[in-house]
Amino acid sequence: MVEAFAVASGKGGTGKTTSTLALGMALAAEHDVTVVDADTGMANLLFHAGLDDAAVTLHDLLVTETATAVSEATYDRFGLSVVPCGTSLAGFEAAEPERLRAVVAELARDTDVLLLDSPAALGSKSAVLPVVLADRVVVVVEPTIPALSDGLKVQEYARSYGTETGGVLFNKVRGETDDAAAQAERHFGGPVLATVPESDAVRAARRAGEPLLAHAPDSEAAERYRRAAARLDVRDGDGDAVADRFRSAVVPDTP
Amino acid sequence: MSEPSDGDRPDAALTIPRGTLLRSRVVSDVGTTLARALDRELTGYATLVPQETLLLSGEARGVLTFADGVPVLAYNTVTDSGGPDALAELAVPGPYRAELYAVDAARLETAHETEALRVAPAAAATELADDQALAERTREAAPDHRLRATDGDDDAVASFLADDDRIEAIREQARAEARDRAAEWGLDGALDDGAG
Repeated sequence: MVEAFAVASGKGGTGKTTSTLALGMALAAEHDVTVVDADTGMANLLFHAGLDDAAVTLHDLLVTETATAVSEATYDRFGLSVVPCGTSLAGFEAAEPERLRAVVAELARDTDVLLLDSPAALGSKSAVLPVVLADRVVVVVEPTIPALSDGLKVQEYARSYGTETGGVLFNKVRGETDDAAAQAERHFGGPVLATVPESDAVRAARRAGEPLLAHAPDSEAAERYRRAAARLDVRDGDGDAVADRFRSAVVPDTP
Repeated sequence: MSEPSDGDRPDAALTIPRGTLLRSRVVSDVGTTLARALDRELTGYATLVPQETLLLSGEARGVLTFADGVPVLAYNTVTDSGGPDALAELAVPGPYRAELYAVDAARLETAHETEALRVAPAAAATELADDQALAERTREAAPDHRLRATDGDDDAVASFLADDDRIEAIREQARAEARDRAAEWGLDGALDDGAG
C-alpha cells in the first residue's frame, strides 16, 4: 500500500466520479490502483464503470454477518480494481458506515493506490468517513464561488482529521481560469492539479458506461486528467502501517 | 449608483428609479427569484439581502437589475462595490430576503449603460444560485450582444478568491463546525490535535 486518496467536493455535480475513475486509470499506468465508491447514499460509480448489474457491492460488505468477502465485491475493470456501491435505499439503510474502515484496511493490504469516491456532503458520519480515512484529499471544484466555498470547507474538515490536501482539480471549466487557478493555490494546501474543460467527451463516456480514459483517451479532458495524476506525486508508504491505522486509529470498536 | 430612489438625485445617471413592488419574500434559494424574473421577462430590479451575515464583514444589500429577465447590473449598496465584485460579496449560502420590482424599460436605459457595474448574463445564476440549468436558460434568453460583450464570467470568482478575509472566515467556520460535528459523531478521537 502506498497511499489512500479521498476524491471529494462538498457539493454535487462537480464530476467527482468521472474524476475518480480518470485519475485511477491514469495512475494505473504506474501503480496498482483500487477505486471504491464510498458514496454509499448516492452511489453512481457503477454506472460509470459498466457495473450496473454487479451482484455484490460495497453495501454487502458494510452489513454485519453477511460473511461476504471483500474480494467478492471487487471487480477488475479497465485496468483497475473497482469496488462499486449499490444504489438501493434498503442497502444504504442496512449498511453500517463504520465498517468502511475495515473494508478499506483490507483493500489497502494489496493495492498501491486507493481512491475513495466520496459523498458530496459533510452532514453525516458516513459522509465524512472517507475524508477521515484517507491520507490525502483531492478536492474537485467547478470554478464558481459556491463550489470553491464548499471545496474549502471539505479541505478544512479533512485537515481537522489530519488529512492533507493532495491538490485541487478545476473541473467543467469554460474558457480560461488561469487567474482563478493561481489564486486558488494560495488558499488550498495543494497545487491545482489540472483544469479540465467542460466536454462532450465526458458526457458521451458517461452515457456509454465507460470511464473517460477508456471511452475518449485522446480527448483534451483525458489528457488533463493524466497531467493531474502525474502531479499527484504518490508517496511511498508502509502498507502494513496504513492498514493498521485504518483498522484501529479512527473509530473505537463497538463491543 | 445609489439605492433605488425617486430618481431626483444629482447623480441620476447612476440611480435606479424606484419601481413597482411585485414580490417580497425570504427565499432559501435565490434561484427562485432569478427564475421568476427570467420567466416573466422582468425589466426592473431585485434587492437581495443575504440573511447569513457570519461570513460578511458587514451587511450586504444587493441590487440586481434585469432587462427582459436577464441580469444586467449588480451593486452592493453597503460596500459600494459593483459588477462582479458585488456578485462575489453577495454569493453567500443561506436564505435571502428578496424583493422584485418592475421598472419601465426607458427609465432604466441610462443606468444600464454603466459598463463598470455590468455582470455576465448567467453570472448571478451560477454564483448566487449555484444553478447551472438556470444559467444555461439565462444565456439562451440573453441578447447576442450581451453574450459577446461579456467574456468575463469568472471575474466574480477572481474577486472572491482575492478576498483573503472572507476565505479565512469560511475556513474558520468550517474548522469549528468540523470539531463540533466530530464530537456529535463520536469521531473526536480521530481529530488531529495539531489542527487547532
